[in-house]
Amino acid sequence: MKKLRTHGGIRKKTFRIFGSIAVVLLALTGCSSGNGSPTATTASGNAPGKSADTATFADPPNTVPNWIWPFSPLANFSVSNSSDLQYLLFRPMYWFGNNGKAEVSDSLSLAAEPVYSNGGKTVTIKLKDYRWSDGTSLTAQNVMFWYNMLKAEKKNYAAYTPGQFPDNIVSVSTPDPKTVVFTTDKAYSQQWFLYNQLSTITPMPDAWDMTAAGTKGDCATNESGCAAVYAYLVAQSKDLPTYATNPLWQVVDGPWKLSKFNADGNITFVPNPTYSGPVKASLKQFIEVPFTTDDAEFQVLRGGNTIDVGYLPTQDLAAAKSATTGPAEAGPNPLSANYQLAPWFLYGVNYFPINFNNPTVGPIFKQLYFRQALQSVVDQPGVLSSAAKNYGVQTTGPVPLYPDSPLISQTEKNNPYPFSIAAAKKDLTDNGWTVNAGGTSVCAKPGTAAGDCGPGIAAGAKLDFNLQYASGQQTITTAMQSLKSNAAQVGITLNITPAPFNTVTGTAIPCSGKTCTWQMGNWGGGWVYAPDYYPTGEVLWETGAGSNSGSYTNPAIDKLIIDTTTQSGTAVMQAYEDALAKDLPVIWQPNYTYSLTEVANGLQGATVQNPYSAINPEEWHY
Amino acid sequence: MSDPGRAKVDSLGEMPPQEPAAAAPTGLPVGQAKSMFQLGFEVFIQNKLAIVGMVVLVLAVVFCFVGPLFYHTDQVTVDLLTTNLPPGPGHPLGTDETGYDQLGRLMVGGQASLTIGFAAAIIATIVGTVWGAIAGFFGGLVDAVMMRVVDAILSIPILFLLLFIVTIVRPSIPVMIFVLGLTAWLVPARLVRGESLTLRVREYVQAVRVMGGSSWHSVLRHIMPNVIGTVIVNATFQVADAILLIAYLGYLGLGISPPATDWGGMLSNGTAFIFTNYWWLIYPPGILIIVVVVAVNLVGDGLRDSVEVRLQRR
Amino acid sequence: MIGYILRRLAQSILVVLVVTVIVFILLHQLPGGAARAILGPRATALQVAQFNTANGYDQPLLIQYFRQLGEWFTGNFGFSIKLNQSVSSLLAQRLPKTIVLSLLSLVLTVVVAVPLGIYQAVRRNRTFDYVATGLSFIFYAAPTFFIGIIMIEVFSQNLGWFPPEAPQSNGVGPIFEQFDAMVLPVVTLALLSIAGFSRYMRSSVLDNIDQDYVRTAQAKGASPQRVLYHHVLRNALIPIITLLGLSLPALFAGALVTESIFNFPGMGLLFWQAAQSSDYPVELGVVIITAFATVAGNLLADVSLAIIDPRVKL
Repeated sequence: MKKLRTHGGIRKKTFRIFGSIAVVLLALTGCSSGNGSPTATTASGNAPGKSADTATFADPPNTVPNWIWPFSPLANFSVSNSSDLQYLLFRPMYWFGNNGKAEVSDSLSLAAEPVYSNGGKTVTIKLKDYRWSDGTSLTAQNVMFWYNMLKAEKKNYAAYTPGQFPDNIVSVSTPDPKTVVFTTDKAYSQQWFLYNQLSTITPMPDAWDMTAAGTKGDCATNESGCAAVYAYLVAQSKDLPTYATNPLWQVVDGPWKLSKFNADGNITFVPNPTYSGPVKASLKQFIEVPFTTDDAEFQVLRGGNTIDVGYLPTQDLAAAKSATTGPAEAGPNPLSANYQLAPWFLYGVNYFPINFNNPTVGPIFKQLYFRQALQSVVDQPGVLSSAAKNYGVQTTGPVPLYPDSPLISQTEKNNPYPFSIAAAKKDLTDNGWTVNAGGTSVCAKPGTAAGDCGPGIAAGAKLDFNLQYASGQQTITTAMQSLKSNAAQVGITLNITPAPFNTVTGTAIPCSGKTCTWQMGNWGGGWVYAPDYYPTGEVLWETGAGSNSGSYTNPAIDKLIIDTTTQSGTAVMQAYEDALAKDLPVIWQPNYTYSLTEVANGLQGATVQNPYSAINPEEWHY
Repeated sequence: MSDPGRAKVDSLGEMPPQEPAAAAPTGLPVGQAKSMFQLGFEVFIQNKLAIVGMVVLVLAVVFCFVGPLFYHTDQVTVDLLTTNLPPGPGHPLGTDETGYDQLGRLMVGGQASLTIGFAAAIIATIVGTVWGAIAGFFGGLVDAVMMRVVDAILSIPILFLLLFIVTIVRPSIPVMIFVLGLTAWLVPARLVRGESLTLRVREYVQAVRVMGGSSWHSVLRHIMPNVIGTVIVNATFQVADAILLIAYLGYLGLGISPPATDWGGMLSNGTAFIFTNYWWLIYPPGILIIVVVVAVNLVGDGLRDSVEVRLQRR
Repeated sequence: MIGYILRRLAQSILVVLVVTVIVFILLHQLPGGAARAILGPRATALQVAQFNTANGYDQPLLIQYFRQLGEWFTGNFGFSIKLNQSVSSLLAQRLPKTIVLSLLSLVLTVVVAVPLGIYQAVRRNRTFDYVATGLSFIFYAAPTFFIGIIMIEVFSQNLGWFPPEAPQSNGVGPIFEQFDAMVLPVVTLALLSIAGFSRYMRSSVLDNIDQDYVRTAQAKGASPQRVLYHHVLRNALIPIITLLGLSLPALFAGALVTESIFNFPGMGLLFWQAAQSSDYPVELGVVIITAFATVAGNLLADVSLAIIDPRVKL
């Protein structure tokens, strides 16, 4: 093939055209943005759902509910499944989150708070007068159904920890249809037993006690009958398209019933007219809509005519709010024409684990002075004020500093290791390291005496580490760059690498031996205390615990953790908390808002938000 | 005639087909090559757009590699007190969300984009050319096996390969060059193979064989020089593709690890701030990418024309 | 011809098998593995071990592979534990979305790019040609995420002409009821390929205008229109048809960036999310479909080329 193109006559015109195209492009986008101030959104006049009396809720990006039965396996144990689907239909026996506070809610729970007797070993639970939507009453039998199921299929339930509920129950009885009595193997902390053990119980209706459509099972009365019921209910849970039509899932004790369920995340709820709780739903519909990314959600939110309750990505806030305001107070809201800003915090702590079992750098991580040095270069206030626009709180120990609670100790409030390059430098130089600011510090005095680097650290060992962090979150990315830059000032070289969230959580796991080579991993979210609502450490920092990602171990801490689960009151909690805050099992980092919630103007009841991520749209109304 | 470039980028789903690179030039006596190159060069410099592209590229290289010698900025230390500043004294193009000076960052990012773009293109071209020439020259079973390997790799979504590699190795500039180079060689391999297939039957290659010349000798001495035009033209488009591809990787969160960056990473970062209107984080890297990619394409077009004219005058 | 097709078909199946082997091996090398990715950070070592046993992930790779192969032959793509759905029902949800998006943009591309390319060729080196060429250079050089975000900013947020997200209803029917919502994603996806295709078309027409057969036709007194439409166009369309054949895999691989910007979860996003969460069955399901589409596209392109262009011998 030959080609004939005229080359000679390329004219100035072409250049002008190239130039003018660029100008047009710039003008089109430039005019959109004006001169430095964010585009003002036009008020759409009416809130999206006002006329139809519905509320549309934006699901968090890239997560949609896909497991309806509250007895969730680990793979389907997620915030979106519990908070955005199961809790709306089927209420747990105890509801946590009380008017924004991190405590049990007596009004929304299905039972009165437990009464302890017999030296704390007998736990008596009185159920309130609730009804299922099929007309039957909520009875002790419904609790037994769950209990038997849990005993029979505990390995298939996400929140089961060996040795804990139901393993720590010696006997159970139902003296009358509204009372359940548990006898435990020993006395436990009353707070812990309620918040972390009884909290997992969700009574199940008699209608679910089936082994096939139309065939009754006997799991509620007989543990050995549970396997067949389990198999049936799991099979039904795996059939997403039938969620809204399956008669099983229409038997609810929560304020909502499912009316439409799309596997892609478009879900519609309608009020349960027979709900026995304090507030019946007044909206005609509650609608959940899915989003691929928070940017996509924001583009729709901005329009102001689809979403009633959505969220503002942090990067779309131009102005930081005042640093002196409380964490949950709202600052300037760029969408104020249509929405009210309500920052939403979860009861959790944010941190990233370091791998104590790493064969090469583990010995360095085992040194408290090193952890102190590393913690001291984390500029929490700086990251909070710049990247997080002051929507966040510092993390200083295992108990969240927000929402306020009597559990927070003075040590945590004072922050044992505030941001200080000088302190970090001192920690290292005092312990045998030659600090090379801007380079990499090396161990000059190996050995185990005071002032030496410590056991297992050779002369010339370098402070050079790999830190993998979850990509895609502006605040985490900025925080990690800031950390790298600060650490470099004391010669700690951090090779930071962004990676997908699941890669980070899949890499930063408890391990041992030669293949245990990860060093630091930051998935960005730390830990939220739900459904283990009491901030004890038995799953996080106890030696060998499942979620002890960095394989941290300290016998003194282990003992304090056992105390927190077996002794009631705040003193044991604070002792544990102080010791852990000082011992740095992980590196603490700021706890950001869970979401900068935007509530449509005129929608009432949605601005006080649950610290455990549950939603209560039955309380919303126009 | 097929354009494997299309298939290659389709797993990203977004990139258009390249304009056909030099359409099958037919063989020409080796002895005339030099004068033909001169002829081609003359055609090239007559092509004013191509010259403009060349000038733009040189300016971009000067900006990125020489600029930092005169315009000193700290691209290592994060300053959280000076984030997202609009252009002003001290920061002609403002600062980004970690407080880096944006103008200085454009230079650093440009170094990465240009280095990766050119180096990946060179690797892809060398590997692809050798692979394609061997397959095309030997033909038969060798050809079938080698080209099915190409087919197989083309059929694996490139995103999957990239995600895999980036997950197990820390994405630095050399790693990116390697990764992009090794996924982009398939296109030149197909092109060169197609050409050497036609060359193989040409008289002079046949003659070399009859005279007892070795196969390798034929490949190196006769086939390579003849496909070089096509290859160079394709290489320029590879540069443009590589620059765009790292931009997509940056958007997907798989780009180069900070504090290093590239224009694509800067742009995807900046687009997060379109609502807050930090335009200095969006348009400078966006325009630089477009201008440089257009320039590379102009040069490629110019080269193609000169290659073809060279062939037509034969 | 038939023999050639059969041979290629056999080779293609082999290629797909090789692809599945490669992907299978790579998948299992990702750190953490499926168990961790699916069970999450709360899982204990015991739970991970149980999960692996239950799903056969603790067996030798070879055995796992052949078991998987057996499943595929019975048409069973497996079950995604992560998404609690069978892979085939996931594909059934996502594939229509992707096909509608890609097909519409492909149609738009052809409808715009072909006449545009012809017109540019006929009116070459006039103002219109320069503007169109300039624009196509720019759109070719701009990353999709940049274009998409600017599209939303300008046409949705500022002018308010179109919604910022694609239609949200399930199924294909409702997509057409909300057609205005489809405009921006389709245009965003099409702009780049229009840029590429029109450049292609323009040079292809120019190639043919100068061919001998055209001169012959002109000499025989055929009208310019007849020459253009009857002779030139027919030949100029050959490469376009090849390209279309090669675009087939794009229908399956999807358009990740466009899907994510416009909240339109199709195959691209499904694949991307599966890749990030080591969702083996989904990942393999998408790869195998894409691989089939790619080889089929290649084959189709070659065969249709042979049918249309008698000069090509297979």
